[in-house]
Amino acid sequence: MARSLPLYARLSRSLVVAAAVALSASAAFAQDVIKFGAPLPLTGPLAPEAIKQQQGYDLWAEQVNKAGGISVGGKKYKVEIVYSDYQSNTPRAVQATEQMITQDGVNFMFSPFGSGAAKAASSLSERYKMPTIASTASSPQVYDQGYKYLFGTFTPNDTLTTPLTKIVKAKAPNVKKVAILARNDLFPLAIAQEMEKSAKANGLDVVYFEKYAIGTLDHSATLSQIKSLAPQWIFVTGYINDLLLVRKQMSDQEIKADVVSMIAGPAYQEFIDAAGPSGENISSAAWWHPAAKYDGKDIFGTTANYVKLFREKYKSDPDYAQASASVSGALFQMAIEKAGTLDKEKVRDALAATDVMTFWGPVRFGPTGQINSLEPPVFQLQGGKAIVLSPDIIKQGEFKLGVN
Amino acid sequence: MSRSNLILLALIACIAALPMFGGAYALRLGTIACMYAILALSWNVVGGLAGYPSFATAAFFGLGAYIGGVLLARGMPLAAAVPIAGIGSFLVAALLGAALLRLRGHYFAIASLSLIEVFREVVNNATDLTGGGMGLNIPLSASAGVMADATFFFYAMWSLLLVTAVMVMAVSLSKLGFGLSCIRQNETAANMVGLNTTLYKSIAFGLSACFVGSAGGIYAAWVHYIDPSDVFDILYSVKPIVMALIGGLGSPLGVTVGAFVYLGLEEVVWRNYIQIHSGVLGIIIVLLLLFLPHGLMSVGSWRWRRGMKNA
Amino acid sequence: MFAAQILINALVLGCLYACIAIGFSLVWGVLNVINLIHGSFIVLGAYLAWSLYQGFHVSPWYALVIAAPLFFVFGYVIQRIVLNRVITAPVLVTLTMTFGLDLILNNAMIYYFKADYRKLTLKPPMGSVSIFDVVVPVDRLVATIAALALTGILYLILRRLRVGRAIVAVRLDRDAAVLMGVDVNAIYAIAFGLGTALAGCAGVLMALIFPISPLTSTAYLGKAFVVCVLGGLGSVSGALAGGVLLALIEGVGSAMFGPAHATTLSFVLLIVFLILRPQGLLGRKGFE
Repeated sequence: MARSLPLYARLSRSLVVAAAVALSASAAFAQDVIKFGAPLPLTGPLAPEAIKQQQGYDLWAEQVNKAGGISVGGKKYKVEIVYSDYQSNTPRAVQATEQMITQDGVNFMFSPFGSGAAKAASSLSERYKMPTIASTASSPQVYDQGYKYLFGTFTPNDTLTTPLTKIVKAKAPNVKKVAILARNDLFPLAIAQEMEKSAKANGLDVVYFEKYAIGTLDHSATLSQIKSLAPQWIFVTGYINDLLLVRKQMSDQEIKADVVSMIAGPAYQEFIDAAGPSGENISSAAWWHPAAKYDGKDIFGTTANYVKLFREKYKSDPDYAQASASVSGALFQMAIEKAGTLDKEKVRDALAATDVMTFWGPVRFGPTGQINSLEPPVFQLQGGKAIVLSPDIIKQGEFKLGVN
Repeated sequence: MSRSNLILLALIACIAALPMFGGAYALRLGTIACMYAILALSWNVVGGLAGYPSFATAAFFGLGAYIGGVLLARGMPLAAAVPIAGIGSFLVAALLGAALLRLRGHYFAIASLSLIEVFREVVNNATDLTGGGMGLNIPLSASAGVMADATFFFYAMWSLLLVTAVMVMAVSLSKLGFGLSCIRQNETAANMVGLNTTLYKSIAFGLSACFVGSAGGIYAAWVHYIDPSDVFDILYSVKPIVMALIGGLGSPLGVTVGAFVYLGLEEVVWRNYIQIHSGVLGIIIVLLLLFLPHGLMSVGSWRWRRGMKNA
Repeated sequence: MFAAQILINALVLGCLYACIAIGFSLVWGVLNVINLIHGSFIVLGAYLAWSLYQGFHVSPWYALVIAAPLFFVFGYVIQRIVLNRVITAPVLVTLTMTFGLDLILNNAMIYYFKADYRKLTLKPPMGSVSIFDVVVPVDRLVATIAALALTGILYLILRRLRVGRAIVAVRLDRDAAVLMGVDVNAIYAIAFGLGTALAGCAGVLMALIFPISPLTSTAYLGKAFVVCVLGGLGSVSGALAGGVLLALIEGVGSAMFGPAHATTLSFVLLIVFLILRPQGLLGRKGFE
């Protein structure tokens, strides 16, 4: 008995070692890549947004892998992004998130598109202690749930409307009456409500505030009505298709105003191309603009370099949606490298401690996880190009009046 | 009680064991499976028994989700909000049914489709109550962890499925079920022999909405964020029909099996074809209708098909 | 002036709505099929116009001539191969069938064209004309005239051509038409082909006016529903009446109650019409 015990011990020890070696080998094999989950609305009404997000993530993954990968404790890991289509349906986004966490075994998550879906999916991230970056969620309500694992790259909506109102107030003293037309949809409606608040706070008279239904094919009656009210400032929210249609019908009806603002159309190159000369002097605001000049410490470096890389890959200019997706990846990369491990809690802590300059701008997350270091640019289409009006450090031109 | 009804009850009883085997994701699928079965069984009351091609399922699902969601958001407990969602849907459907079910065939189909649009836009525009296009947030009940939550909502949906199945069986055995069959086969004749067809149809429409609405209420609590385009999705109207066609129209067992098979197909297709899953689903639907028009449970389905033709 | 502007807007928009709905109405009236692919056909037509203009600088007016035969053949083939097999099945089956076909076509378009919005921008733009302060955009005006011409052509086909009279005969009484020696299956396929061609042409015209994306198909389909029910099934003049009525309701409704309620109003009206006057403004009572 006394002699056989060491034998058992030896045997069991060697078995344990063998098992451990096998395990670590397979673990190392599996862990040569870091998997990021990204549920996208590839079909359904949000499909155009999915393309942008995917472009942003893909560009980041490509750059990382080209550079050898993310280095964790001296070892390089390749990046793999797991996509799935949640059909622009929020519950399906939640389902996709849970599937990625429990079935696909992703290491980190990107939120689904927009504030609503990001909020719905965030409770899963919290429950599974999964560090998650929301690249397109701006509502503070997404972040004030007391969750520790959710971070976001968009500042609240009022950071877009307040500087815009300030500029109009300063440069267009004639503007007294504002007409607001909003798409009855999460982000466009929320931003229109912020606009209304900000206009009232600045002593402007909101003479018209209406919503239009998703999928509206014709705005002529609405625009005729706005025309009859003769506002000096027309503020319209919606997605590219809505805004193109509204802009076209405005020129059809020969509606003129001192200031016309559209969110988020002019931020997109497609809008600028399709609107052509009719886009002249339309103002807008977004979280980021390719004209920005930041000198980042992330994998992309300067904003100009990001724009260059994006152009090389996609033959078009990036907008804030694509850039936000890319910077979300870059932020993960920096946090993982700083943490030196793939441990979810440590990476989460590294993310929370982020204080870095990126091509997207300075990034620090507030106590709720939402970025609070960014000053979104206000810009205007002049001569077929978006010209940044504020903030001063990246200003390119002066505000011009009159949209015909 | 017929053999197929017993099998159905046994099948539902078996599903109850799922939490013993599966993880959180399996429970999520299980919850969806129960929900689909509720939608399909409820549709069957109006679409299968009475032979009216209803596309109103999504309208009542959304209505129930919003009734439940608004009440939950104002602090009402789930146990009260879900029955109210069900009763509310029943009443709205019964009243609308009295008017709409005078229409036949395509006209009824179009009218029931339009209900989805009307309800969606009404909810969309009641911004103060429902949040409109910004969606409605339903506060999380104090969470006891991933598995506890998943298990809770699974059993909530499962119980509702059980109640729905019992209701459907009771209806088909009762005078109401007989009356609905008469209406399907020849409404004019049923009317002439003194059957109050309007009343029967209204009750059937109300019953088919009642459990769909309750499912919507549970669903709202489960996903804790709803927006109008999510819950008033026309797919919630079409899916139950496809499930019923897969399983074979009319029989509760067939319809339930159809719901489970459909979910399985959907999950497999969705996972494997990221870019083209809806097209693949379309191909499956087309092939099914072309080559398996009587559904998987072909037993007795000819009877139903003939009945449907008369509608 | 405001009222006159609203009225003119509605008149022009109404003709476009009629153009969207006419093919749908024909198929429903003759084949007794609610064709849920209709919206996707329109979008496909718009993509055709866009591709021809961007790729080969073919003006949309010529694109009309190219679209019509292409879409006719496309529709004819779909009817012959797929729909004809279930044409006698209950509403539920044909409706679900077209739903499945729509999933396929729409997904194919998302896959091939991507979901982002395109816009066909004519260079130079056509501008607008104004008479006493009432402004009408020229492209809408021209599209309206083209839409009227299309409906006119359909009217002539149905009235003057042998095949058109056969279509009308099948619509009025299928069994009698069979007895008269009409090949019903061929007529069905021709009618579906015509409906598809009209949808394709409507799409070409819509490309001038609306941004193009597979996602817009449901909006077109929804309009076609309402126009058909308001105007009455399967009749050319009914579609025109229904289109103008719908545009008027939307225009006046959005001026009075706000644009968000315009859609609701039109669908409520649709349900009321279905219950009170299922034959529509100008139609005869259709099929059960």
